[in-house]
Amino acid sequence: MSSALVKCFNLAKAVKTVAFRSFLGTSTSTIQSWSPAATVGALSTKCGLHTSYPMRQEKLLMEFFDDPKHWSENEVKVGRAWKTDELRIKSNKELHQLWYILLKERNMLLTMEHECNEKMEMFPNPERIDKVKISMENLETVVRERNKAFHLLETGETGERPQRQVKNAFGLPMVYRSCEHALPPFMNTKWIKSRHVSCGGRAVQKFLLKYREKLYNAKRKAKNRSRNEVMMILRRNPNFDLNLLRNRFPDVDIDKLRQTDKTRGHYVPKVDV
Amino acid sequence: MRITQYLATKLKNFSNLPKEYIERSKKQVYYETPKEINYLPRVVERKRYRYTMNRSWTGQFRQQNMPGTMRRKVFVEPIADWSFFRGDRIEVLVGKDKGKQGIVTQVIPERNWIIVEGINWHYRRVGAEGKFPGIIIKSEAPLHVTKDIRLVDPADLQGTDFEWRFTEEGEKVRVSLRSGRIIPIPETNNQTHDYKTPNAYIEREKDTPAAVVGEISFQPKLCTFEMDIMEDMGIKEERTPVKSYWY
Repeated sequence: MSSALVKCFNLAKAVKTVAFRSFLGTSTSTIQSWSPAATVGALSTKCGLHTSYPMRQEKLLMEFFDDPKHWSENEVKVGRAWKTDELRIKSNKELHQLWYILLKERNMLLTMEHECNEKMEMFPNPERIDKVKISMENLETVVRERNKAFHLLETGETGERPQRQVKNAFGLPMVYRSCEHALPPFMNTKWIKSRHVSCGGRAVQKFLLKYREKLYNAKRKAKNRSRNEVMMILRRNPNFDLNLLRNRFPDVDIDKLRQTDKTRGHYVPKVDV
Repeated sequence: MRITQYLATKLKNFSNLPKEYIERSKKQVYYETPKEINYLPRVVERKRYRYTMNRSWTGQFRQQNMPGTMRRKVFVEPIADWSFFRGDRIEVLVGKDKGKQGIVTQVIPERNWIIVEGINWHYRRVGAEGKFPGIIIKSEAPLHVTKDIRLVDPADLQGTDFEWRFTEEGEKVRVSLRSGRIIPIPETNNQTHDYKTPNAYIEREKDTPAAVVGEISFQPKLCTFEMDIMEDMGIKEERTPVKSYWY
């Protein structure tokens, strides 16, 4: 994959297409120029790649790479991610455009990261990937909110994919996410067979007993751990604020613990004069 | 209101890195079950890290927490409200700089530590080999927030105990117990690697300008996101979907 990209990159270099402008460059232009679809050019026919919408001739695969002036940089500074509150005031069209800008940016960053790893170089500011990811997650949240509101108004349901808690063959609870079927459930024998799981057998009961024991042990150990933690804190700091400890470790009986020897430090206690 | 105040920490992260990145860069996954239907999602990873002066996204941190190594647990006592911020003037209570005052330059809440400018120097000799005696590197050693320092009262520049109290407006402030004066949280606390103050941030090439971010372009409409986009693009759906069942 990478070698193919490098080849294409070299090809792009050869035809002098280094002039490369980022789509997100909105510092001088307004929000309308965010639109990735706004750049309508000739369909790229040189590369044997399918492109769903026409791209400008000069960009081609170089859109997968960062601006060449950032290649040898140690630090590429960018702002923070989009917050949900900022996205809520944007129209659907702008959100749609922003999604594709973020998607392209993410593709570019992941390509650059891969390429830097291949070439044994430092990838500057890898937190940019996380920032794009946070923005995309927030954007999706906002879009889902809007769709949910519409469906709740019109149908009284959220319109999300339905899911429910069921028990699987091992008797463990799992989330069953519904699917779309052409047949109603009573006619769909294949589905009925696939869903016919029994979890009442003796073997399952035995398994569940042991599984619950495991869960119980994990819980018990966590409790012991927090008890030890409190003990060690008290041993190291005899005058520690007990109310704070009570708030932080609600399942530990601190008054009882105060009586034990282990909460006492191995030194002669200071006597207040 | 109270809950949000309780949850929000006033301590600003100087690196200004997203939490997700800090977690991701710190992570050491030893084994992960394949993403197959016959595997339960289980991860074997490092749970306990040794936090030191090295921040968790740096190479030095990774070097100190090399995969497969274990170090003794450090007991860090819980603190109700973090009370020492970058830019605070504090007085040192222990060590050779006892009684001196200084400005907090760095805060390491993972260990309840702070670094004070020019206070508590410690010296390391590195590169000693054969006859070459090596060179001395000096740096500030951390101070513990509960035992080693106390805040300085801005009224008389003397060390003082303090308390978190609420003002009439409902804001949580530090109040000096001696003079009863508010000890404000310094502006330096809000500085990050990217800017001194949020207003002074220089917008970069790929940043959306603040004015554009604040523009309200949303107009409520009775349609879903997809319907709106289709209308915008002039896509008309005339096919009627076949009846289907969700179960």
